[in-house]
Amino acid sequence: MKEFNIVLAGVGGQGILLAAEILGTAALKEGLNVRVSEIHGMAQRGGSVTSNIRMGERVLAPTILEGTADILLGFEPIETLRNLRFASEKTVVLMNNEPAPPLGLITKMISYPSSGEITKKIRFFTKNIVVMEAAELAKEAGSILTRNVVLIGGLAATEKAPVKIESLKDAIRELVPEKYLAVNMKAFELGYESVQRKTKLWSS
Amino acid sequence: MPDPRMLLQDKPESRVLLLGNEAIARGVLEAGIGVVTTYPGTPASEIGDSISAIAAEAGLYMEYSTNEIVAVEVAAGTANSGVRTLTAMKHVGLNVAADAVMTLAYIGVKGGYVIVTADDPECYSSQNEQDTRFYTLLSNLPCLEPSNPQEAKDMTISAIEISERLELPVLLRPTTRVSHTRGPVTYGKLTKPNLKGKFIKDVRRMVMVPANARPMHIKLLEKLRSAKEISETSSYNKVVREGNSELGIISSSSAYNYAVEAAELLGLDASILKLGMTHPLPEKMIKRFLGNHEKIVIVEELEPYLEMQVKVIAKDHALNVKIFGKMNELYFPRKGELSTRTVTKGLAEITGKESPINFKKIDDEYADITKDLPSRPPILCAGCPHRASFYVIKKTTGEKAICTTDIGCYALGIAPPLKVGDILICMGASIGTAQGISKVTGKNTVAIIGDSTFFHAAIPGLVNAVYNNHKVTLAVLDNLTTAMTGSQPHPGTGVTGMGNPSAKILIEKVAEGCGVKYVEVVDPFNIKEATMILEKALHHPGPSVVVFRAPCALMEARQKRRTGIKIVPCKVTDKCTNCMVCIKLLGCPALIVKDEEVTITETLCTGCGLCVSVCPYKAIECKRNG
Repeated sequence: MKEFNIVLAGVGGQGILLAAEILGTAALKEGLNVRVSEIHGMAQRGGSVTSNIRMGERVLAPTILEGTADILLGFEPIETLRNLRFASEKTVVLMNNEPAPPLGLITKMISYPSSGEITKKIRFFTKNIVVMEAAELAKEAGSILTRNVVLIGGLAATEKAPVKIESLKDAIRELVPEKYLAVNMKAFELGYESVQRKTKLWSS
Repeated sequence: MPDPRMLLQDKPESRVLLLGNEAIARGVLEAGIGVVTTYPGTPASEIGDSISAIAAEAGLYMEYSTNEIVAVEVAAGTANSGVRTLTAMKHVGLNVAADAVMTLAYIGVKGGYVIVTADDPECYSSQNEQDTRFYTLLSNLPCLEPSNPQEAKDMTISAIEISERLELPVLLRPTTRVSHTRGPVTYGKLTKPNLKGKFIKDVRRMVMVPANARPMHIKLLEKLRSAKEISETSSYNKVVREGNSELGIISSSSAYNYAVEAAELLGLDASILKLGMTHPLPEKMIKRFLGNHEKIVIVEELEPYLEMQVKVIAKDHALNVKIFGKMNELYFPRKGELSTRTVTKGLAEITGKESPINFKKIDDEYADITKDLPSRPPILCAGCPHRASFYVIKKTTGEKAICTTDIGCYALGIAPPLKVGDILICMGASIGTAQGISKVTGKNTVAIIGDSTFFHAAIPGLVNAVYNNHKVTLAVLDNLTTAMTGSQPHPGTGVTGMGNPSAKILIEKVAEGCGVKYVEVVDPFNIKEATMILEKALHHPGPSVVVFRAPCALMEARQKRRTGIKIVPCKVTDKCTNCMVCIKLLGCPALIVKDEEVTITETLCTGCGLCVSVCPYKAIECKRNG
């Protein structure tokens, strides 16, 4: 693999850093070179958070070039839109449909854009869109905090998944504390099944 | 990395995915460093934090020092007793430590000593984006610049070796994109740390009175000449690609990564000189490289540090070569971080090549799609006690008072709707600035500072307020931790970096000891009492201190999760008239409007009850407030 780029986009507190680490660890397990860039500190406090994961033989730069994302994993709809400049018509956008309204919208009493408006905007860049109900699936798994792993499960079920399911599961086993492992594995499965169902519907 | 003990694995040659900062921590273990001192600061924090988690097991000593200059002074003592030592800080920490660093350069060290100072191009979590590399010219200390986590680890070890060879501290300068990038790191062998030192008295070397400082300055310049020889032969300085064109690129740090990818993207057949030891520069090597090319492009982040020196080399050797960089601000920006895109743009303009990616098209489409997208700046967390403190400060002082603020989460108080904070400079500046403003405006002046920042830099300022009788109120927003950087302990927490219990230093006692006559401690969530006390403090004729004390919401939630205590969120009842007062006054992220009704997001609400206090219709219920 020459180069595979994943953009994670969401809001501080949604578990983006762990998701990025899982993807990076899985890639390393398959012998790929990896760069995972993270943002810590002040920027994390409820603000927009992104992480870039690059894998492949010759990746050096920690950040992704505009228009070259293979997967855009959106943890929140508005944040997904905010990162569309990394997408092209080849990009798969996998998006959690759970809105976290920015404070500016709330105080100005502006309503959150409808899901139709959001997918319309994404479609301008790419037709490959999978919308996931990650929050509901995470709750079903046992904790809302596992929405990040639900999304990773979803990513594993797309055709574009750059690493094997087992590598991802191994990475989860390595990185998630024992106490929360069962809930996270369940979250992974639920995410995986949900996207598998959706993409089957697509192709049929 | 959930378990920092992964860093302790004695498995040479194993490949592990590490954050740049974790890689530096692994470097500490491989170099046999015995003492680590630090003050947390993004993007350097995880160096100290990783070490703190494993120090006892690894058999080394670490401490969260009160501030960066103390961290360097402690280290000056250990390193001059022959113990290998590392100090980690963020770039602006070096300003605090500079007084010690400048003269420690004269004295030098016996055991290897590395000062890690992590720069933050783009100010992701900082008040400025200064280029620390200029400190190398000021102090004459050698400097290594890693470009990825593997180098961050390797250079930590090399820095110790160079330091011992020269008997001189060495700077290691990662940037945010090195410190906070994960990449594969191949482990080397662990070295058992040596913690036992011996201080050998040597007045002429150690005591920097003028008569001794003069000869030691000469000695420092001699060491610098030896450092230059090391730089000429360092494996970190090398031509990594030999091209077949007139074009040569010189780069260092993360900028190197962008330069290589940008050159590939444009299909440039350029030679690339990668510099890892950037002070002193390898003059002969650079001279050769310049001599072999007609055009040189220097790709570096922030200031034209390399460019200025490379131009001097070209001039000194009368080389006929054209050097492109950022001094004329035509090709590369002198502010912000670089990216493959910005470097591609600069290289394309210099070489006349065209980028295969049509960035303008992407920009136009993106601008069209996102023009009405609301921004999402960082905000105080749901349940944050600072929100309550700010509400009280605003309610008591109105908009008329001047609030000087400081470095920490509470800097986020400037965001609407709270909008508290009128000037912010650096750690500890709130209390000093407040005195100046109060003196010449006669206005009510409230200085806002956090607990860790109070210990770090506010005490001399507070003493000044008492000594010169400045009528200011210091509001210490004490959330019992160093919250912004990841919840490190500090002198007020009763725990050390080694995880041992220690005496809790109480801020109110310090204030009393400094001679402040009005000192009170309040619970910020008790709005009525806090307001009354702040009111009194503002009327006090001299300096006054009010400590707003309540634990950080993130820390409390973590503790509750760990101990199995259920968090009970607040509830909006049918008494709610949707007047929006709670939303408009507090800006709590847990309070949202859904289908035109005020709703509380249960997953975010910590049940702090602040919204209960401000609701005019008593329409919010909360267990905490009964």
